[in-house]
Amino acid sequence: MIERRLPTLFQAICIGISLIAVIILLAVFLGLILFSSPKALIASLFSEEIWYAIRLSVITAVISTLICLIIAVPIAYYMVRFSFFGKQWVNVLLNLPLSLPPLVAGVALLIFLSPATSPVGQFLSSMKIYIVYTSAAIIIAQVFVNAPYMVRIARSTFSMISPRYEHVARTLGCSEFGAFRKITLPMAKNGLIGGLVITWSKAMGEFGAVLMLAGAISMKTETLPIALFLNMSTGDLDMAIAAALILLIISGTALILFEYFGKENGDVYA
Amino acid sequence: MLEIDSLSIQLGEFSFANLNLKVNDGEYCIILGPTGAGKTILLETIAGIHHPKTGRILLNDKDITNTPPERRGIGMVYQDYMLFPHMTIAENIGFGLKERGVSQTERQVAIRDIAKTFGISHLLERYPKTLSGGEQQRTAIARSLLLRPLILLLDEPLSALDMITRERLRAELKAIHTETGMTILHITHHFEDIYALADRVVVMRDGTIVQEGTPDMIMRHPVSDFIANFTGMENIFSGDAVMTPSGIVEIHMGSTIIRTVTELTGRVHAGIRPEDMIISTEPFTSSAQNSFSGVVTEIIDSGVYSKIVVEAGIILTAVLTRQSIQRLGITLGSMVWLTFKATSVHVFCE
Repeated sequence: MIERRLPTLFQAICIGISLIAVIILLAVFLGLILFSSPKALIASLFSEEIWYAIRLSVITAVISTLICLIIAVPIAYYMVRFSFFGKQWVNVLLNLPLSLPPLVAGVALLIFLSPATSPVGQFLSSMKIYIVYTSAAIIIAQVFVNAPYMVRIARSTFSMISPRYEHVARTLGCSEFGAFRKITLPMAKNGLIGGLVITWSKAMGEFGAVLMLAGAISMKTETLPIALFLNMSTGDLDMAIAAALILLIISGTALILFEYFGKENGDVYA
Repeated sequence: MLEIDSLSIQLGEFSFANLNLKVNDGEYCIILGPTGAGKTILLETIAGIHHPKTGRILLNDKDITNTPPERRGIGMVYQDYMLFPHMTIAENIGFGLKERGVSQTERQVAIRDIAKTFGISHLLERYPKTLSGGEQQRTAIARSLLLRPLILLLDEPLSALDMITRERLRAELKAIHTETGMTILHITHHFEDIYALADRVVVMRDGTIVQEGTPDMIMRHPVSDFIANFTGMENIFSGDAVMTPSGIVEIHMGSTIIRTVTELTGRVHAGIRPEDMIISTEPFTSSAQNSFSGVVTEIIDSGVYSKIVVEAGIILTAVLTRQSIQRLGITLGSMVWLTFKATSVHVFCE
């Protein structure tokens, strides 16, 4: 027989607070799920506006995530494998968007790209390229906010792989890029996939920076979070909740996938 | 022949300057030195991973200082194997041949052949994670040997292994060298490796070479305190060496006198290898010049051999097999005699 001991006071406090937190989280999310009647919810989920928002969100998030990957992998690799003068300051700059409110990032981007405020914007509009308040703006805003996350995850992934694997591969006949492609990249695969999932899920939910740079234009720059915002402002609760539920499902799935790939990537190749 | 000509390198905190080293064809050269002496960086520089600040590296009279690693024909094996975790053992071994564009069928034959030599044929379809340390290191050595490198660099290849596996793999390395006649540059901090393997030994400290020579020379005549300590010379004393009319030098350490043969006089260090001491439980008549009696104060068991520490005016350490200790009936507090020849005393300056 296993003797069951009563928890100590300290353990009881920890268990109690954890339990309360779990109950609150469940109650909040269940409240959201159960608020609308199933019929109204289904009608909203299949409305033209929500479908437009889903399509726009998925397309912009996929594109911006791929751009993040293309940017993040070389930066992360360089930051892990090489040291250079001023590295710590570059590091701070690269991480700045992480702690910056997305609204601020959005305003900065707007001022940088708007023809009304900057020479860059004027140059672009003279080339007949209009970015502000378009779906391109959504992608740019997502990339700007999310690339640092992807860099961070890619960095921690690469830093767990000893450079000696590449050294050995070089002596076995690989070029520098060959060693990266055939050894380091496959070893980093799971970490990078996990990073992609999280980046994509964050892009799906990006609101502040998108609102500033792309605006909240119904059926034009209306991503899921913007749809949620617009329908809340007009009091259309069923539509807002439909958008919110989709975002909730996406976040949950992304988190589970990230944990899965994170576990697969549990080996440290230092 | 590998020739390193006044090589200097600066890598982060670490640097070495003006290094000269030659490894002859077919030679088994061991670099001995403590961790942090820059041995790995030296090997990686030879392999072409790091670029030297100044100096040249020549391989068979060809300047390879600016040749990328993949075109140097140098093999490299690390202490922690560095097998590619996403490839099977067969894929790991065949990686170099695949890079060279050798066909699948030819590769398979070559992989099978070398796997047989290394006794890892049964592991070919497995992934590195599931192998023991010894098996992984055999795979790593096979992987670099399959390309028939002009020189094989071994970075502490035996350090991560348990003692029995280490001894076995050491014997295998010896056999590989004898059979292939491959030029090998091996770094280690185990002095056991040098007796078993080396044709020549280079001792490094703080990024510089402090001594070079045959294993015997290094072990018998270490040029400094540091090397003597490092190579396992247990009994190291300092004293004043005085030449006597008979030609024998006496080293005075307080009231204790050790007789030796040397040309050095004045303040010196003297080292006596524990295995050069004869232990007896009665006074021992021989031609040996030095004999001390004392009490056993400590018996340190280290596998087959045990070290015996004797307080005889100076503290002397000798080694004996466990059987001999039993046969002689030596226990803590036993009175013993330690005898050693004048030529067993190695005298060196600081």
